[in-house]
Amino acid sequence: MAQFAWEEISIEVDEDGFMQEPDEWSERVALALASTEGVSELTDEHWKLVNYLREYYQKFGIAPMIRKLCKETGFPLKKVYELFPSGPAKGACKVAGLAKPTGCV
Amino acid sequence: MPVATKTKKLTFKDFSNPSEQLAHIDPEDLYPLPPPYDKLEDQPGFKQLTEEARSKFEASLDDTMVLNIPKPESKEEEERLVKLFRSGLEKLFTRENNWTFLQPTTLSMEHCARCQSCIKDCPIYEASGYNELYRPTYRAEILRRLYFKYIKGGNSWWKKFNNGDIELNWTLISRLCELSYRCTLCRRCAQSCPIGVDNGQLTREIRKLFSAEMGITAKDLHEKGSVQQLKIGSSTGMNDIVVKDNCDFIDEDMEERTGIKIKTIWDKEGADVLLIHNAGEFLAWPDNPGAFALILQEMGISWTLSSDIAGYDGVNYGLFYDDVQLARVAMKHYEIAKKLKVKKILMGECGHLTKAMGVTGDRLTQAIPRENAMTFIENVVFSGKLSFDPERNYFPVTLHDPCNMVRSMGIVEPQRRVLRYIAPKFREMHPHGVRNYCCGGGSGWAIMSQNNFLDWRIQVSGRKKFEQILNAFSNVDPGPETPKYVCTPCSNCKGQIRDLFDYYGAKEKSGLYYAGLIELVVNAMTNVKENFIDFEMM
Repeated sequence: MAQFAWEEISIEVDEDGFMQEPDEWSERVALALASTEGVSELTDEHWKLVNYLREYYQKFGIAPMIRKLCKETGFPLKKVYELFPSGPAKGACKVAGLAKPTGCV
Repeated sequence: MPVATKTKKLTFKDFSNPSEQLAHIDPEDLYPLPPPYDKLEDQPGFKQLTEEARSKFEASLDDTMVLNIPKPESKEEEERLVKLFRSGLEKLFTRENNWTFLQPTTLSMEHCARCQSCIKDCPIYEASGYNELYRPTYRAEILRRLYFKYIKGGNSWWKKFNNGDIELNWTLISRLCELSYRCTLCRRCAQSCPIGVDNGQLTREIRKLFSAEMGITAKDLHEKGSVQQLKIGSSTGMNDIVVKDNCDFIDEDMEERTGIKIKTIWDKEGADVLLIHNAGEFLAWPDNPGAFALILQEMGISWTLSSDIAGYDGVNYGLFYDDVQLARVAMKHYEIAKKLKVKKILMGECGHLTKAMGVTGDRLTQAIPRENAMTFIENVVFSGKLSFDPERNYFPVTLHDPCNMVRSMGIVEPQRRVLRYIAPKFREMHPHGVRNYCCGGGSGWAIMSQNNFLDWRIQVSGRKKFEQILNAFSNVDPGPETPKYVCTPCSNCKGQIRDLFDYYGAKEKSGLYYAGLIELVVNAMTNVKENFIDFEMM
């Protein structure tokens, strides 16, 4: 566990940089986490993905299936990788403040 | 304090001697991969452990760290831990505490002739540039010396001379624990031993000692793994509501893509078949459970999934580190099958699941017949009930052999007979079958990435597999325009192969894709819409 600081933001993250306290997430936190993923600006398309992930997470407590994410946002997997180069699980979920996925996923 | 390097031969004494770091791998020590992955400067490099991590945790083994063992705060605490280790060691060699594995453990302790026949077969030892620390017999010899000194007893000069002395202290203990996570338990070394000494099993005994007696485990296997599975229902964190919702989605998606209406069946009492997948499939590789549902339905088999705790997640990470957790999960699977009064359990495409449920948990679950996915798929394909057009799989295909299913269980040919029939461009890796190489993510590593461990399991333990995959396709167009399919009938191996491909950009550079066996079967079915396997979506 470590403290991650970016501008005025200071949050607890795990060894892989995922948030420890998802309740502390805010749009500023998303920007801070995006900076660790090589994403300097969050466009409308980024937000569409992030908001979808957050809504799903709030409802079900875990990250959605990747296929479902693609279908329901209308973004093909390739597009998800363009938006978040380390991919949906490691990149997009991290920025959306989700905990690191567990199990064989 | 000095860093022991490959220029100085590591001794057994060094293992107990405090030093900053016992072994180190330079990227230059790693043998080169085939092009276009042969240039060191094009590769992502090897991250170092942070100073903060090194100061907080026991990190004096090598370049990486899986367990994050806190440093003892006082001398008393250190002594308490050493005592605890000794009591764990004693339990490992008593029938009442280790009836399950006492015999093979003792045999491996007492009969190794130190001939070193096994060491050339270890992919980690080879990839490390033959770094002494990763020699399979180095780790085993540490345990063996502890066994002769503390269990068999005898401090006479002859016994010390004959068995080799060792100093037991916290430095040794913390390093041994971490070192038990530098072996994927692939058991290639056990296979090459002329008398069957099993260094893989010994590694697991070490992990077990630390888990059961000292509470030191890999978080992903224990806390987020078997504990979460027994509490919420799945190591993925999916409860029954989420898994059902996901299966509804998979049913719809399958209908759209195959033209066949699918209905996943839940908790049906008296069904012939209870299908248990590794739950990672539902989230990361939904085509696999979708394809199983389609095949079962088309074959007219009466089947069901279970929404009970652990009923929809066949993982049993205890196989990798702890007998009690292993038994708890195995008993759940057994009880669910009993409750549903099914005729048999069909085990999904997952190596460790198949071994845990099919072999290791046998004494608990033998009342219910279990069938592995490979023979099931073979029987389906050659049943004459389905019609195939193998030309639909007209792309190069190779096969990865999951160690637990193939080397450890001998399930070698069914999947090959299927591929020879439905995949016209199937080719083998070399070596293959029981002589295969581990994906590099075995024993649960595929789900471990803490600190810089991802770099280690890609560049060191996964090196052999990546090289084998590239070589298997060396006679086809190397570019991304020709998709190449690595058939990987194991959820854990799929995770590792995905990480290998992501790490090296192998999809973009070489057109490398991976998925299971049953997807190829559905892709070849003539009553299914073409291109069920859609490389765009993979």
